[in-house]
Amino acid sequence: MVSRAAAAIRTRPRREREAEVLVWPDLVFIEFISALIFSIALMVLSAMVNAPLLNRADPDTTPNPSKAPWYFLNLQELLLHMEPAWAGVIVPTIALVLLAAIPYWDRDQEGQGVWFGTKFAGRLTVFGFTAATLITSLLIIWDGSLHVVWTENVIRGLGLNSDFAWPGGLDWFRNLRGFDTGIPWDSLGFTIGGFTMFDDWRAIPLGIPGTTTDPWLLNLNFPSFLSQQIIPVATMVGLPVLFVLFCKMLGWIHTRRDIALLIFSAFIGVYLTTTIVGTAFRGQGQDLKPPWDIVVLEE
Amino acid sequence: MANLERAPRKSFNDLIYDLIFKNYVWQSIFRTGYPNTPRNQMLAVATNVFLHLHPTRIHRTHVKITHTYCLGGLSFFMFLGLTVTGVLLMFYYVPSIERAYQDIQELEANVRFGQLLRNMHRWMAHAMIILVLLHMMRVFYTGAYKPPREFNWVVGVVLFILTLLLSFTGYLLPWDQLAFWAITVGTTMVGSAPVLGDESKFLLLGGFSVGPNALIRFYTLHVIGLPLVISIFMAVHFWRVRRDGGLARPL
Ligand code: HEM
Repeated sequence: MVSRAAAAIRTRPRREREAEVLVWPDLVFIEFISALIFSIALMVLSAMVNAPLLNRADPDTTPNPSKAPWYFLNLQELLLHMEPAWAGVIVPTIALVLLAAIPYWDRDQEGQGVWFGTKFAGRLTVFGFTAATLITSLLIIWDGSLHVVWTENVIRGLGLNSDFAWPGGLDWFRNLRGFDTGIPWDSLGFTIGGFTMFDDWRAIPLGIPGTTTDPWLLNLNFPSFLSQQIIPVATMVGLPVLFVLFCKMLGWIHTRRDIALLIFSAFIGVYLTTTIVGTAFRGQGQDLKPPWDIVVLEE
Repeated sequence: MANLERAPRKSFNDLIYDLIFKNYVWQSIFRTGYPNTPRNQMLAVATNVFLHLHPTRIHRTHVKITHTYCLGGLSFFMFLGLTVTGVLLMFYYVPSIERAYQDIQELEANVRFGQLLRNMHRWMAHAMIILVLLHMMRVFYTGAYKPPREFNWVVGVVLFILTLLLSFTGYLLPWDQLAFWAITVGTTMVGSAPVLGDESKFLLLGGFSVGPNALIRFYTLHVIGLPLVISIFMAVHFWRVRRDGGLARPL
């Protein structure tokens, strides 16, 4: 049996000499022109905008907000919504591995070499990108408790109730941490056959041997585990699955390539949204702010 | 046979042309004139050390701008530009915490075109990241990762990571507040890895926090370590584009 790669080379279309052009001058010309345009554009940009240079580095003066370079701000944004180990390391590692694995999963040679090669590619791309962008923005708004602020302002502003405040019964829906702090975990223990289960949700003994150094493995703080790990991870796994099921229902998905198109486009949407929010909408204390209200303080 | 026709007098333009292109020195560099027959044009590409990265002929659809938008080529062009401006910057910069910041200030204030040089390096680095991302998107949406190009896609992912690392290591070098705190935030994220987090952070910084050891490590990686590695991967990447039969095209 020949390997797939070898088979692929074999099934490659014959060279069609009459459909070929010469690299010199056809391609070399295009390369030259595009390089020229970029050189000029960058030259003009550099003549107009200076690279930033702030005060000399000072370990004792922390700028607030402190930000990583812009291309890592999507990760810094994730950091606000989950356990740092997930945001800073595990999620990006898995994302890169999955990205690299695409061709080993979608191996069908159909539809290569043309833009958006399947029948529903356009719709899948637009839907994946738009829906992911919207949902990510909504999740960020929710975790920033903006819905609380907006609801309060609207109800007060309309004069319905001038000192309306978000009801305590809905504290669990203030933001992600609401699932930790807004639920009366202490009264959620229950008794089976005279045996009290979960009387302390914040220190569930796991007793995994050899884990004495890592307190959360020894005594699981379930409410914090729920809000910082279970919910974020379930969201990151569950939403893509829902996306695929939804588009299957619409009859847009027929091949693995279709699934790849949908998820990749959604990924680009999330990547862009988190980068933009992290760059332009995070002010002091990493609070959500419109870009024009952001000032950097040195503390 | 006395009536030999006189060769027509050379025009002024021809004289200049011959003077420039038909002298001994020029012809020692470029052995032939402008390649104006198909055969010579192919030879020009195949025998020129810079152009021979290309095949001599390519499929007509691939010279359409809208097929690649030149994004891979432009990523490479940014890398070349960054190498040139980077070497020039090295003339003026010493990676010690006593001198680094001052060197950048003096580069901007006292060196002719120093500010422009720094700006070019900075904006090209940003442009490269964006171009590489866009190149990845074009490869994805044209389905060009499919067999037999699986491995070149993986090489591409590695190139993307290396591009980010190159930019990240360069970010610290001006040793200003922006640099210092961005690297502090970034390396703290590394430190939160569930296994070997603190160890990798220590290895990266040469200590527990951003200081002189971190500066020299980042500098060395930025000016020699990572450029060498990325050059090797680029060589493989370009070679594979050709070995895989040129750019992807419908079956
Ligand atoms: C430093 C970064 C990179 C450079 C300089 C680079 C350069 C190039 C060049 C010059 C080409 C020829 C066609 C074109 O211009 O589009 C190419 C093709 C290709 N690149 Fe890259 N690339 C880089 C990063 C990437 C990344 C991040 C990926 C994917 C994750 C990737 C995957 C590919 C593939 C699969 C091809 C073959 C495309 C086809 O057959 O149509 N490259 N690359």
